Amino acid sequence: MTTTAERRPTTTIFRRPRSTTGFWSWITTADHKKIGIMYGYAAFIFFLVGGIEALLLRIQLSAADSTFLTAAEYNAAFTMHGTTMVFLFVMPISAAFINYLLPLMIGARDVAFPRMNALSWWIFLFGGIFLYSVLIFSDPAAPAGVEGVPGNLDPADNTILGGMPDGGWFGYQPNAGPFYSPGTAMDFWALGVQFLGLASLISSVNFIVTIFNMRALGMRLLRMPVFVWMSLVVALLLLFSLPIIAIALFMVTFDRQFGSLFFVAEAGGDPILWQHLFWLFGHPEVYILILPAMGIVSEVLPVFSRKPLFGYAAVVIAGAAIAFMGFGVWAHHMFSSGISPVAQAAFALSTMTIAVPTGVKIFNWMGTMWGGRLRFTTSMLFAIGFVAMFVIGGLSGVTHAVVPSDWQQTDTYYIVAHFHYVLFGGAVFGIFSGLYYWFPKITGRLLSERLGKINFWTLFAGFNLTFAPMHWLGLQGMVRRTAYYPPEAGFDFWNLVATVGAFIIAAGVLVFMYNWWRSKKHGEPSGIDPWDARTVEWTIPNPTPEYNFGVSPTITSLDDFWHKKYSSDSEGRPVRRPEAEETLEDLMETGINPPHPIHLPAPSYYPILFAAGIPLVGWGIIFHTSLVGKLLILVGVLVVASAAFGWSMEPLEEPHEEHDEDHSDQPSGSGYSSYGSDA
Amino acid sequence: MEAAAAMDHHDQHESTGIDHRKLGMWVFLSSEFLFFGALITNYLLYQGQPGFARPYPAEIYDIPFTSFSSFALLMSSLTMVLAHNALARRDQHATRTWLLATAMLGSVFLGGQVFEFTEFISVSGMKLTTNPAASAFYLLTGFHGFHVLLGVLMLLTLYGISRRQGELSEASGLNLELVGLYWHFVDIIWIVIFTVVYLLASAPVGVG
Amino acid sequence: MATHPGEHHHPSPLQYVKIAILLAVLTVIEVALFYVNEAADMRGWDAPLLIFLAVLKFVIVVGWYMHLRFESSTLSKFFTAGFILAIILYAVMLLTFGVIALGS
Repeated sequence: MTTTAERRPTTTIFRRPRSTTGFWSWITTADHKKIGIMYGYAAFIFFLVGGIEALLLRIQLSAADSTFLTAAEYNAAFTMHGTTMVFLFVMPISAAFINYLLPLMIGARDVAFPRMNALSWWIFLFGGIFLYSVLIFSDPAAPAGVEGVPGNLDPADNTILGGMPDGGWFGYQPNAGPFYSPGTAMDFWALGVQFLGLASLISSVNFIVTIFNMRALGMRLLRMPVFVWMSLVVALLLLFSLPIIAIALFMVTFDRQFGSLFFVAEAGGDPILWQHLFWLFGHPEVYILILPAMGIVSEVLPVFSRKPLFGYAAVVIAGAAIAFMGFGVWAHHMFSSGISPVAQAAFALSTMTIAVPTGVKIFNWMGTMWGGRLRFTTSMLFAIGFVAMFVIGGLSGVTHAVVPSDWQQTDTYYIVAHFHYVLFGGAVFGIFSGLYYWFPKITGRLLSERLGKINFWTLFAGFNLTFAPMHWLGLQGMVRRTAYYPPEAGFDFWNLVATVGAFIIAAGVLVFMYNWWRSKKHGEPSGIDPWDARTVEWTIPNPTPEYNFGVSPTITSLDDFWHKKYSSDSEGRPVRRPEAEETLEDLMETGINPPHPIHLPAPSYYPILFAAGIPLVGWGIIFHTSLVGKLLILVGVLVVASAAFGWSMEPLEEPHEEHDEDHSDQPSGSGYSSYGSDA
Repeated sequence: MEAAAAMDHHDQHESTGIDHRKLGMWVFLSSEFLFFGALITNYLLYQGQPGFARPYPAEIYDIPFTSFSSFALLMSSLTMVLAHNALARRDQHATRTWLLATAMLGSVFLGGQVFEFTEFISVSGMKLTTNPAASAFYLLTGFHGFHVLLGVLMLLTLYGISRRQGELSEASGLNLELVGLYWHFVDIIWIVIFTVVYLLASAPVGVG
Repeated sequence: MATHPGEHHHPSPLQYVKIAILLAVLTVIEVALFYVNEAADMRGWDAPLLIFLAVLKFVIVVGWYMHLRFESSTLSKFFTAGFILAIILYAVMLLTFGVIALGS
């Protein structure tokens, strides 16, 4: 993968970066594994930030009429908790898994567009930083461009925390518009989420092309691991839903900054339009959050049950059906906003129907475990926890599909309980399962099982203590998004329980962090195949070599790796092949010493440069009435433009001289890269 | 790109037989429908709602003028495809000519849009802040105009590369075929906008 | 759309010019229809006609200028999926707003 220096005839802005280790190698990398790792760490840091915000909320709610937070601070904390957990934790950590694993699972050496992958990552990181830069730049004055806005906040509320966005992660209009949310906080929210969406949109194109185009020989679509299938489905959902929120956020930014009237009710703007656009995106979004976790669990359960996934095709089809139907249920978030009875009936029906493919998956996972020889590793425990908690969350979800029942539940803690059961009990448990399962791929070591069990049980107990009581609090009528409740409401006890549970969750997360930190250096070495796994990412050494596969694999069946190790006896039970150990040794050998030279995408400065221009434009837009703002826009655009120009001039790989193959037969006009590509 | 061509191509291949970048471009374009669809939907929602501050967009369209600039954009698709065709024949000179022609037709369209916006704002008094229908009109056509602008910039960059290096290789990073796909897409979106927004425009009864 | 199996001969420049003339004629018809409707009310017939003409132009540009007719079906599947999804989603949305209505 070292490349030969050679003068290139084309224009460049920078010389090509050369370091392969150290700080600059991470800044300039185009390696999907490094990018995945960076995504993972950044997402985890945001998880901690979002978690701290959640703890602040829980402390405030632990007793009636608490004065721990002001109302403004409470609003800001729940807004940023939701925004952070959705856009800065679950989505990017899913991106981390997909980045790291997708090429490995399809037998590829990288994604289709390695530098665009780096671009996605940097835009995400800078978008997250931009969003939180509101802590520094928050300006309580009226947003620019809107005249005569009196502002409705008590100046005493202008604390640092209270200066964060406070319109909810859903940013309902007109509440989050210029009149009811003066200041710049919601502009940071709108533009920040816009940038994060851009990052995801680029990723989605990249992943789709990777899955369609870069599968190893024999890796037919129906031989792909379920995680890859779910990644494809998620990428399609992102591809088709992000544009909708992008436009909606543009509209908000224009309303707030340039005085357009999309959601300004006094001028005839329609706030319901925002709800439609938001939930047209927002409902596919919840599947974007959950499907990667479903993919992870579909990999973990078969391995630790020593059985193939029950009904592979059904799981795949159910995943695709969820994605398709996920676009047809958005208005169930709007049952109480006065949409017509016909629309209510239609969306209630479609919402109930979408429970069917989800149920299919649950039965498939149970069928996988049924009669298997279960090994209760931490990863497996989290996977089982996922299935159990997701069933609870799914069933409470079906209760919202019933319109009259939904009218009772809307805006109560019952809803909060529901979506935390699917997003925490579901997505987060799935993510932890995956972290324990694939940790050896990154480090070559195992996470401690002893600490892992403590980690699981504290999280499991803390999670249920926190969110189960919210079901009955909600049904008793406790409303969401409100900083206070009166003592006579009788909500104190269960709220206190929930707060205690939240701190137990925090303890569980700390155990996990300690485990990670310790096992990275002192964990038990994993060897090539620590779990007796089924999929091709385990046919290469741990930690993954930079070039992934010494020899690109050829796939002959679903669960290809398993069938290389096991045949079955007359009753279908797996029997380890006598040559299995030898196979593993051979794989280790070719994995460490590839027989042929391998060329990898060279690092590049342009992705980070391109991404760095974007928050500059964002700050510029927010402060566009000042000269500094105008200059920032100009500088940002110039940075992006020069990066794009340099990028388009830079080949994917450095030209290199020696190679064991004659390629003079490649016509220069049609010599498309057989490796990644240049876009 | 020769370097990349030297890869183990028995290992790595395009499973679908389609070039990565081309597949990526089509995938991206399919998502662009959702962008423009949302904007057109906003416009359709607001264009006929009674009771807004006047003027409505439908009251002030200058159909002959817009027909002319739409026609320029439509014909730029012809010059674009001729540029692509010339490149396939390795006729670098003709490629450059048609690229420049395409960029110029695109600029005519953009100039027309600038003129149209200026007229609407200063003569007819329809600003972004006049009413929601006007907001929707400006965001939709402005977003499209931004796409055209990007396209013109890419075309000019291609032209510059071609001038500087004497040729355009299909394998170069900024690929003429991809820019062409993008350009045609921007054109077909305008075909839809021209019909739905301009020709089928309707102000509320009693206004227009 | 008919595909010619396994061939890659794209239209010639002359054919491209012919297509452009066709597109120009369709555009002239569109604008003419607009004025006909202004002068004498077409009782709502202008809308379907104009939409039909726009779709025709759309298909011609996509099929020939963008070469989709000559490409792998994977590409047209993606493209059609995005197009149809957008139409359905936004049509349902406009239905809930009552901007478009069924059976009226």
